[in-house]
Amino acid sequence: MKRFLPALFSPAAVLAALPAAILAAAIPACAQNNYEIQVYGAETVAPRTTMVELHSNFTADGQANFVDGMEPTNHAEHETIEITQGINDWSELGFYIFTSERDGQGVQWVGDHLRPRVRAPAKWGWPVGVSLSTEFGYQRARYAPDTWDWEIRPIVDQTSGRWYWAVNPALERAWHGPDVKLGIDFSPSVKVSYDFTKQITGGIEYYADYGSITSIAALHNQQQQIFPAIDLNVSPDWEINFGVGVGPTAATDHWIVKCIIGRRFTWGKKQ
Amino acid sequence: MTAPGEWASAVCATPSDVHGKGFELSDNQDEMHDPKPNVRQAAASTGRRRFLRQASLAAASMALVRHGAAWPASPVSPASPASPPSPPQSAAPDYRIEIQEIEWELSPRKKIRTSAYDGQIPGRRLDVTEGKPVAIEIVNRLDHPEIVHWHGQWIPVEADGAMEEGSLMIPAGSSTRVAFTPRPAGLHWYHTHAMAERDLKRGLYSGQFGVLHVATPGDPGRYDQQQFIVLHDWEPFYSPSDDGSLMVMYGSGSINGRMLGYDWPIQVREGQRVLFHILNAGATEPHWLALPGHRFQVIALDGRPVATQADVEVLRLGPAERVSALVTMNTPGVWILGEAQQQFLKAGMGTVIEYAGHTGKPLGPKAVKLQWDYRAFGAAAPTRHTPDVILPLVFTSRFRGHGALDEWRINGKSWPATDPIQLTQGLRHRLVFVNRSSDDHPVHLHRHNFELVSIRGNPMSGVFKDVVIVEAGTTVEADLIAANPGNSLFHCHQQDHMDAGFMALFRYT
Repeated sequence: MKRFLPALFSPAAVLAALPAAILAAAIPACAQNNYEIQVYGAETVAPRTTMVELHSNFTADGQANFVDGMEPTNHAEHETIEITQGINDWSELGFYIFTSERDGQGVQWVGDHLRPRVRAPAKWGWPVGVSLSTEFGYQRARYAPDTWDWEIRPIVDQTSGRWYWAVNPALERAWHGPDVKLGIDFSPSVKVSYDFTKQITGGIEYYADYGSITSIAALHNQQQQIFPAIDLNVSPDWEINFGVGVGPTAATDHWIVKCIIGRRFTWGKKQ
Repeated sequence: MTAPGEWASAVCATPSDVHGKGFELSDNQDEMHDPKPNVRQAAASTGRRRFLRQASLAAASMALVRHGAAWPASPVSPASPASPPSPPQSAAPDYRIEIQEIEWELSPRKKIRTSAYDGQIPGRRLDVTEGKPVAIEIVNRLDHPEIVHWHGQWIPVEADGAMEEGSLMIPAGSSTRVAFTPRPAGLHWYHTHAMAERDLKRGLYSGQFGVLHVATPGDPGRYDQQQFIVLHDWEPFYSPSDDGSLMVMYGSGSINGRMLGYDWPIQVREGQRVLFHILNAGATEPHWLALPGHRFQVIALDGRPVATQADVEVLRLGPAERVSALVTMNTPGVWILGEAQQQFLKAGMGTVIEYAGHTGKPLGPKAVKLQWDYRAFGAAAPTRHTPDVILPLVFTSRFRGHGALDEWRINGKSWPATDPIQLTQGLRHRLVFVNRSSDDHPVHLHRHNFELVSIRGNPMSGVFKDVVIVEAGTTVEADLIAANPGNSLFHCHQQDHMDAGFMALFRYT
């Protein structure tokens, strides 16, 4: 889940947000940007295959005011295009185009990221899937206080019968912006799901940002989101995920609706 | 002759040390690596008498079989109930097979631990003669029970090697002796029939397989040399499949136990006719085999002669299927006989064919149209026979989660709950295989074979098999003349499918 989060725990951001928060009690303490809301599985895209995903996230109830110069998230529609190319049976490279749309602003380019990823090949026969993703890129200051940042995301998952779980204990670091001094941020996410049928999988996704690993934020300043979500397995070429997220803490957008639609394209002959 | 490993940098990964042993090129060669039995004491004095007795019993039995007279040379199904007598148990065995754990070198950089027969992969080739009784001692040195199935043979239940029929397993650390009279002639094989369940080191994921070559007495052999080619996939692992359930994939493959580039080449001379006996001994994968610049004249499928010896560019072999094909060596060079699908070839499933006087980098199969139709080998006319009994066998699956293997069902039930299929001796039964699943199934019937009479609704005749691939969403019809009483196991030969319920018993009423 990429949210350009360091801004959340920037003292400057918190201070800037405080007056608005006092004036509007239900408003989160600071801005939050949801561009890709997804718990990664360990599997990588197959070689000679390109995965194109569209992440559509609508904040139904979020930050309504400008905070620290950043655009509000309330009623913002974030569209992210993710293109992932499989390199071999243990690596892939992903590329993101982030956009945001709000009333009167049209579609705005937010930034781009690159995400190389490697995994333990399935032929190693490990009991769990293990993968390591790293992501870096730029985003405009209007949408995130830190314009350059980096993330490393270990991924562990397992499918057993009808059950699936995945854990992504991600670490994030700002490279340019007010949060550089904050060091490394801990943003875990977890998914547990159950195959009701071959086509329908339902589950819970949990996303959090606990703040700096050296100074965990107070609960109300942490981001906590829970998404009941459904995956539709209609075809091996398609990936469809839909969820509605609840953010119970003050620092979290309260309601977000997310949808991921992905399509795999296989190139060249399979021979 | 080019040594193994000299092509390795070209066709695989790294050069290797020379290993294995070569052979001298001679007329009418008959080769697979180390084919000699360790113990072979044929009862020559009684062999002919037994053969004649068997032949007369077969003739008597065939008289009971309706419509059988019009069928080709050998009977279409076992000529029982009077199976020929077994050799006396006190006689020394003709062969001895030791099941043991070994470390096997697929290539110098790829060593695997597996169980195998007599410390080699494939197990030593057993050369027997149709109608001549054979006794085989089997020693199980593993820490779990095992069983050896004589695939393609019309033999009694006790010898067949399937515990579901009633054959006995060989306890860990024990030995047993099986005795049977080989029938029919042709390329057959022997292999473990133990379940693997989720253990990818057991069953046909292991190295427990070998060629059983049943020669026809007096067959002059219209070829210059014959070669035995045994395919196998290695390093299995579970992976998500396109249809949502787990499937088994592989890290490497081999021909005759070696990865491409690490075995001695098959040496040929221009103009030679080479008879290739090819067996897919893999657990789950069908394979496509091609030899660039050459065509295969298919003369037998599953050991049984075909009605039409069609020429094809590529061979398809489902798990447990066998093809015997003549190749006229008329394109000098150095070639790879190997998987036509690049991912399998790169995984090692290939061997080098080297013409005398030619050296250099071997050329592998290029883009080949993967096309196979059993009807190409059938007779011109469809079957003229009307079945006495029609037996529908509907294959379906039940989803058990993306992290599980599907449960497989025959007529709505999964083994061991499947209903027995009733056969009546002497009658022609039309087996209607209806595959309503999204997987292809290489279905196999023990102790019998059947004649294919329609594929996807297209009638045919003249192709007799004991394994047939029923492609996803299609129907195949096959005629079985019930002539070998006793339980006969019917199952998908894909190890993960039979482990997940794709089995049923055929029983005689």
